[in-house]
Amino acid sequence: MSIEYQNDETKLEKFSPSTDIVESEHGFFMYMDLPGVCREALTIDLDENTLIISAKSATTLADDEKYIDQEFSDGEYSRRFTIADVVDRENIKANLKDGVLELFLPKKQEVKPRKIEITSG
Amino acid sequence: MVIDFGSFYNFPYEFDKIFHDVFNPHHYRRGKASYPPLNIGEDENKIFIRAEVPGISIDDVEITITAKDLVIKGERKLPEGRYFRQERPSGIFQRIVSINTPVDANNVTASIKDGILTIVLPKSEASRPKKVDIAIG
Repeated sequence: MSIEYQNDETKLEKFSPSTDIVESEHGFFMYMDLPGVCREALTIDLDENTLIISAKSATTLADDEKYIDQEFSDGEYSRRFTIADVVDRENIKANLKDGVLELFLPKKQEVKPRKIEITSG
Repeated sequence: MVIDFGSFYNFPYEFDKIFHDVFNPHHYRRGKASYPPLNIGEDENKIFIRAEVPGISIDDVEITITAKDLVIKGERKLPEGRYFRQERPSGIFQRIVSINTPVDANNVTASIKDGILTIVLPKSEASRPKKVDIAIG
């Protein structure tokens, strides 16, 4: 996981979320770890060939709670991906569940491998 | 800090952390620490343990409390397929938190929301500081 250092404007730590990309026959599945992010705090933008994912995580602390030890902090997640031309941009699907964003990027119909019938003559 | 009278006995870990920070001062701990990362907090009556466990449901996690420790165990399975890129950690994980304070083990609650596991341990009566009036004669 790569880390960008603290940004003075926002005072929030910036993270580049870990992402898995799995290819299947019909398209690409992307899985992104966004712990602490609710649906309202997530935005997905598609700017021509760039997919931009940005989110904010916020932990709610109990009243009077003090940290004894802290290994993770709230922050801003942001990551960009360049989308290949084979992706059907109109039909990208996104689903956020248990802090994991699942994206499905279908391949365009015409680039799917086709079996060519061979006729003997 | 020589002797810690806090709710946790974490000295060996703290020592490692200091040692690590001295030699790698610019490395933020995220991503380097054990999996899953934990935040531990307390207020007067409760201890809160939070862990980042995206994609893990409460059924995949086993939480055990012994006399001194809280053990969080689980396995993270990733979908199978042809991976183009794999950055997310997977596999079996276990974290042990040593607790220095007696807790009411029967009333521990655990929940997962948006990939954050929260465990609440109520401190037992005996561990709360009591005010003793001293009569000055």
